Amino acid sequence: MSGQAKGRIFPVVVISLFCITILAGLFGTLLPSLNYLPVIGYTRISLSAWFDFFSYPGIQTSIFVTLFSGITASFGVVCLAFLFISFSYGNALWKFFEKILAPVLSIPHAAFAIGFGFLIAPSGWLMRMVSPVLTGFTRPPDWIILNDPAGLSLTIALVIKEFPFLIMVTMGALGQLDIKKTLLVGRALGYSKEQIWLKILIPRLYPHLRLSVFAVIAYSLSVVDMAIILGPSSPSSLSVLILKWFNDPDMSFKLLAAAGSLFLFFMVVVSILCACLMERAVLVFLRPWITNGKRCSFVSPLKSIIFFMGCGTLFFTAVSSVILVIWSLTWQWRFPDFLPATWTLKLWAKGLMSSFDPVMTTLFTGLASAFIGLLLAIGCLEHEVAAGKTRTRNYTGYIHYFLYLPLLVPQITFMAGIQFLLVIMNMDGYWISLMVSHLLFVLPYMFIALSATYIAFDERVTDQAMLLKRSYIKVLFRVKLPMLIKPILFSFAIGFSVSVAQYIPTMLVGAGRFSTITTEVVSIASGSDRRAIAVYALIQQCLPMMMYAFAIIFPKILYYNRKGMQV
Amino acid sequence: MSLELNNLSILKQGSTIFDPVNLVIKPGEITTIMGPSGCGKSTLLSAVSGSLDKVFTLKGSILLYGSNMADISMEKRNIGILFQDDLLFPHMDIGSNLAFAIKEKTSRVQKSQIIDKALKTAGLEGFEKRDPSSLSGGQKARISLLRSLLAKPSALLLDEPFSKLDQTLKAKIRLFVFSQIKKMNIPALLVTHDPRDCPEGGMILNLNKEKG
Amino acid sequence: MKSFLLIFSGVLVLAVFSQAVAKDWSEIEKQANGQTVYFNAWGGSQTINEYIQWAARQVQKKHNVRVIHVKATDISDVVSRILVEKAADKKTNGSVDLMWINGENFKAMKENKLLYGPFSQKLPYYQLVDIENKKTLLYDFTTPVDNMESPWGMAQLVFSYDSKQVKKHPKNMLDLLAFARENPGRFTYPSIPGFHGTTFIKQVLHELIHDPEVLNQPVIQSDFEKNTQPLWDFLDALHPFLWRKAKVFPTSASQMVSLLNDNEIFISFSFNPNSVSNAIKNGELPNTIRTYIHTNGTIGNAHFVGIPFNSSARQGAMVFANFLLSPEAQARKADPTIWGDPTVLDTQKLVGRDKDLFDAVPKGIATLTPKELGQGLPEPHVSWVQALEKKWLETYSK
Repeated sequence: MSGQAKGRIFPVVVISLFCITILAGLFGTLLPSLNYLPVIGYTRISLSAWFDFFSYPGIQTSIFVTLFSGITASFGVVCLAFLFISFSYGNALWKFFEKILAPVLSIPHAAFAIGFGFLIAPSGWLMRMVSPVLTGFTRPPDWIILNDPAGLSLTIALVIKEFPFLIMVTMGALGQLDIKKTLLVGRALGYSKEQIWLKILIPRLYPHLRLSVFAVIAYSLSVVDMAIILGPSSPSSLSVLILKWFNDPDMSFKLLAAAGSLFLFFMVVVSILCACLMERAVLVFLRPWITNGKRCSFVSPLKSIIFFMGCGTLFFTAVSSVILVIWSLTWQWRFPDFLPATWTLKLWAKGLMSSFDPVMTTLFTGLASAFIGLLLAIGCLEHEVAAGKTRTRNYTGYIHYFLYLPLLVPQITFMAGIQFLLVIMNMDGYWISLMVSHLLFVLPYMFIALSATYIAFDERVTDQAMLLKRSYIKVLFRVKLPMLIKPILFSFAIGFSVSVAQYIPTMLVGAGRFSTITTEVVSIASGSDRRAIAVYALIQQCLPMMMYAFAIIFPKILYYNRKGMQV
Repeated sequence: MSLELNNLSILKQGSTIFDPVNLVIKPGEITTIMGPSGCGKSTLLSAVSGSLDKVFTLKGSILLYGSNMADISMEKRNIGILFQDDLLFPHMDIGSNLAFAIKEKTSRVQKSQIIDKALKTAGLEGFEKRDPSSLSGGQKARISLLRSLLAKPSALLLDEPFSKLDQTLKAKIRLFVFSQIKKMNIPALLVTHDPRDCPEGGMILNLNKEKG
Repeated sequence: MKSFLLIFSGVLVLAVFSQAVAKDWSEIEKQANGQTVYFNAWGGSQTINEYIQWAARQVQKKHNVRVIHVKATDISDVVSRILVEKAADKKTNGSVDLMWINGENFKAMKENKLLYGPFSQKLPYYQLVDIENKKTLLYDFTTPVDNMESPWGMAQLVFSYDSKQVKKHPKNMLDLLAFARENPGRFTYPSIPGFHGTTFIKQVLHELIHDPEVLNQPVIQSDFEKNTQPLWDFLDALHPFLWRKAKVFPTSASQMVSLLNDNEIFISFSFNPNSVSNAIKNGELPNTIRTYIHTNGTIGNAHFVGIPFNSSARQGAMVFANFLLSPEAQARKADPTIWGDPTVLDTQKLVGRDKDLFDAVPKGIATLTPKELGQGLPEPHVSWVQALEKKWLETYSK
């Protein structure tokens, strides 16, 4: 036992939980893709599902659109985030971002996509603002904006939604670099701030962000809810097509869906490998540029464009929420009126009444999974800290990779397999299974949010306290955790909001016994009533927001007379 | 001439943090500013380098070879800084760290010759491909200085550059730094709380604030 | 006198039959007492959800059966889940006790033996169902129902148009094509595969095919091209004039309602003759929208509720299915201010209070009379769906 850092039970539990579920899930998908699904009479292993997949009408377009939107969005958002940091770190805009980030991040993807759609459609609010006065349109123009065949609107929405996520991870990673001093040294050598960021800081930052960038790539390629709302429809992007096949009444489509989802996984893997290669290539090709000695300040047009785009993401997110509020209060609203002709609270009254049970389920599942996620995250981080102190064998290196697995493997690829296994073990439809399935996605995000500040905690304080108290547990709970209350509550809020947004796990593992606000949103969004959709999307948005508000306000109240805790 | 501080004082919320400073540092000379911690030494240094925090306001003038530095941004001042931490870029090898400082219009071959030469003066030949973290404290300090000097600064600021080195190294590095400054023939301003850091024959200024 | 006899004989039949089933049924009701029924049904419509909530409250009060509405986005998700349960050999305690179902999903479930039954004949109110006139209650998309699902409501394709924008609505598919030519971008249909989009092309095929009889038979691949050529010619001609020039299709019929409200399109369609009246009442559509059907009729079908093989609350499910068939529930459902889903009952068989219930149902502002709606064209054989969808995807989804 000696020679191992304490608390290793935590990483062991996490690694085995993550490994087993994902491998099992993949296996459960692999079999049907090889034509093995005894229940509908397929028992002979063959590749026919794969042939069917590649000969499905429009499949090339579908794959191409998925790749195009996924890769453009990932590449775009990474570039935008890096340029934005380089140009605005430390200025007023950056500080504003720091404040506004939490509520922006907490908006669920589905709610944002719905609002964004209401905004940019040819009959959307933006068009209503300028019609008919400026455009002369009394009817919406017949323009392709939403659901465009190339997936542009989906790509843009992905960039807008992923941008704050990348900024958040970056903010976490910044603590690990000595930014202030590096900027001083660089400027003393005659370089402008922007140049120092691009030449020195971003290359140093990237290794800390690599996994998050992979997660962005995986998400952009396999996104379902946003793609249903904003993506192309004929043919749809691959993930949506797979979901359709999974749900086709003709059972043989299940084989096709299994093959398709494995192919999607393959696409994600290849894209991530390409990202790795690109990273290498960029490093090699940029070395001469980094040391070319050129000192110049950055061309201002590019700077303005980046500021404009950064603010644009905020603007669209904010206005998407505003339009939801307006629709939720609408009785009748026709094009091109700028505001509804008649208003009502009826939809809210109905929505609040019928969403009570799902909201409760959402609350309990979110609180429970975030709480357990917090325990596991703190356990793993304590293990990491202990290992760092004693330089003993530890699991820290692996845990980051395993934690990211659920974010890198497309949900639909392994969740269907997991559903199958749960049913076999007679464990589907139990709340506990649902909660654990949420935990798979909650924990990674909580870990990302917490680890930087947690590791950076000044251990001299705990060492000092240990000398006084001599009880590790007491010191942990009475000194360290209370001091870290802010990042802990913040990561709790992130975990909660991730749980709130889960759709596929809730559907598949919950066996329909548990409807959360998100399953309600998606099912109501399959209807036509934009007002009801808006009400539900807003309720969905409110839950995480309340948790963030709590995370911000509670420490302030708790330590209102402790100046040292106010920073 | 060269680096001049005329009646320089720094205000925070309307009150000065030290008495006005008047200084002239000639090329090749090193002036030392002494004072207990918290007296504003480093603030003075950041005023000269151009990285003064916005909470402070500057009075008086800073002249470098006759031109007023007041409205010139830090990166345009051409003033080098050396800190107690080496602050080498950990993801680049020593060669790249040094190359980063060399100004443009230098061919690749020229660059590597310059780097070779610089490393030789520091007794670190063949270190181009080394990882900064594999170097000893003294080696890092020397590379750090070389990097500052390769940018051909018009003046050099030293912010307690020796305080993290152990006693035996300190003297050696000190000598190396001072001799390089002499060789470059640029004015230098050293901030320290250790009287032994002062170069022989250099001017010493005690920073203080009149009571009352 | 004649009608009196009819009613009398109806009551008599019911009475005699009731005797026989009464004992069985009271047994079922007894077992149902205290059961919880997970009713899986599409949850995309607030009005329907509210109706289901009402019905759930009624059976809770009357029979102490607790019904929980599990809102599905697409009922085929639910079919998948039951399939997985069967694969896992889960013979009891299935996650679904009752589900809203028809057409392809019913066929898939029946063929894969995922349904419990036959059971609908055991339901007392089944005697009031109009199986004599409503053939689709016996053949669900030509699949024999065989009492494996219990009727719930009727549906028929109806077109809707904005009477403010369109002075004279089309009367057949060729009219519709002419309308599209005159008003480019003002008509569309939902993407395929998808129930509503497929129904639209089935309707086109029905109107244009030389011999509609072949639609009742399984697809014969060798004749498929020849038989469906008029359909593809029609679509080729229509697509350039569709909304977004047919480069984008709405994802669902629901989206068409928003498009109609936004004036993006002038003609839309739905599968519920009352849905427009209902939407007008709800504020979802302006009150200038009206409905019409094509001269030679439109495709109609029925929808049902079925019990999965592994339900452990099948008595409760049957009690709820029976309640859904009651004149009280059916009349409420037919009310366009509540839902407006046409009844499956033979209203001629009703007497007294039950008859009054139906007489009191108001006619929606945009609803056609039963006479105007006619019988409805039969759904083609199920095998057509896949063949049509496949060909459509090959041709237009590139």
